[in-house]
Amino acid sequence: MESLESLFQPGQVSTRAETKVAYSRDASRIQGSCHGVVWPETVPDVVHLAQWAAETRMDLVPRGAGTGLCGGATPQNSIVIDSSRLRQIGACDIQSKLVVVDAGVPLDQLSRTLRPDGLFFPVIPGSHRSATIGGMIATNAAGLHAIRYGRMSDWVEEVVVVDGEGKVQRLSGGDRKAFAGREGITGMIIQATLRLTEVPKSRSLTLFSFAHLAEMLKQVKELKTNSALSALEYLNPHAAALVGWTAKHSVLAEYHSDEGEIRDPAEMANLWGARESLSARLTQAGFPISEDPQFPPEALEDNLDWLTVQNIPVFGHLGVGILHPRFLLEDARITELYRRVSASGGQISGEHGMGLKKRQWASEALKAEVLALKRQFDPRHIFNRGKLC
Amino acid sequence: MLIDLSENPACIECGLCREVCPVFQIQRQEEYGPRGRAMLGTAGSQTLIFYHCTLCRACRVVCPVGHDPGGEILRTGLISAGIETEANQMMIANIRQYGNPFGPLAEGELPKTLTCC
Repeated sequence: MESLESLFQPGQVSTRAETKVAYSRDASRIQGSCHGVVWPETVPDVVHLAQWAAETRMDLVPRGAGTGLCGGATPQNSIVIDSSRLRQIGACDIQSKLVVVDAGVPLDQLSRTLRPDGLFFPVIPGSHRSATIGGMIATNAAGLHAIRYGRMSDWVEEVVVVDGEGKVQRLSGGDRKAFAGREGITGMIIQATLRLTEVPKSRSLTLFSFAHLAEMLKQVKELKTNSALSALEYLNPHAAALVGWTAKHSVLAEYHSDEGEIRDPAEMANLWGARESLSARLTQAGFPISEDPQFPPEALEDNLDWLTVQNIPVFGHLGVGILHPRFLLEDARITELYRRVSASGGQISGEHGMGLKKRQWASEALKAEVLALKRQFDPRHIFNRGKLC
Repeated sequence: MLIDLSENPACIECGLCREVCPVFQIQRQEEYGPRGRAMLGTAGSQTLIFYHCTLCRACRVVCPVGHDPGGEILRTGLISAGIETEANQMMIANIRQYGNPFGPLAEGELPKTLTCC
């Protein structure tokens, strides 16, 4: 560790017991073991660290805000690289709607900075208050408005990364997919050029309630043809009751137009507030385990019915088929859920990533992809060993 | 109105509090933020880091489950164990000996060191 400390300024490396405890897990609460933490402040800092790790064979775990739910930032006898001091936001190019941001910039900070220019970054995960741009790219975050805006990979123009050999790479186009959703196994994201969009001129909401799933899915199909639709959030009866809504299948539809029934900003904020409070409420209600399967449209009815019959609270981004069923600790039904996802041709991880939590469920195709990426970007396996698969 | 700490639910370690913490904004290290302090508290650490909390409770305001990472609670544990900062020790000693937190002061002299608990 002395050789590591000699590479940095005092205060950029810590091996204190308190530091190791605070970085020993992320929001997944999967316990790991941290040997120390480095806070890089420049690109050369990360380059030196990667070169040091290549020599010493130490595992490096990139970490954003530590809000991940699958243990992607949980160290396993590793050094954690915390991006929280990489916080610069470059000048916003209003004409071309582009901005250059450091990996450690939290999404809400970026949103506040962009507001005066009438622009915003539209990928908004539930953890937007803390989630960093680097972490959002690494998990290829989707979130509340995915039905209209897609996910991170759709909005990243270019990424600057330090790979497993300490080389600084500037990736654009198809190459950025080597980092989007790769959970840091191919290197540390340092900076990104993001595409932006204009703040919508108007917004409105409608809250729908349905007694029957089939009836709801029919309506959802129709809603999805509306070009003004910007969010389509689902709550099953169990989840709806927890936020004080009628205990029915509920759909919160947001439009970038005036056609929704609710247009009062305070009322809209209340409804979104209820929806965004759900995750914490479910944790308090004894359902701390959050899953994120993505089902194809034709498999939704059968699987939503199964989840509801099982008395499993569910919410999620119905427009893109990503659901967040919530489970008890050590709930055996999670395995059954994964089996159902695979049988339906869906994805076990729609947006949280695989991390440590789901790596045993990685498909052969994913394993082959990861192996090829490791050969290309991290042949010595210094970045985030054992994650994803 | 004071928050009833007896109803304080456990920290779920989601990390949504860290950006509002003024100490985290300076240090940018997890152990100085509310979640880090809660994790240290859970691990049974008795560390002077708990004194870095400003007790502003901004974290309590944004916490989705209403957890208070417990500046007071964590500090109570330290005080019970006799763990204090040097500034605290000096201040208490000065109060006992001189009746003020600053130590001996001549008539009209302003204190050179200001300490705060």
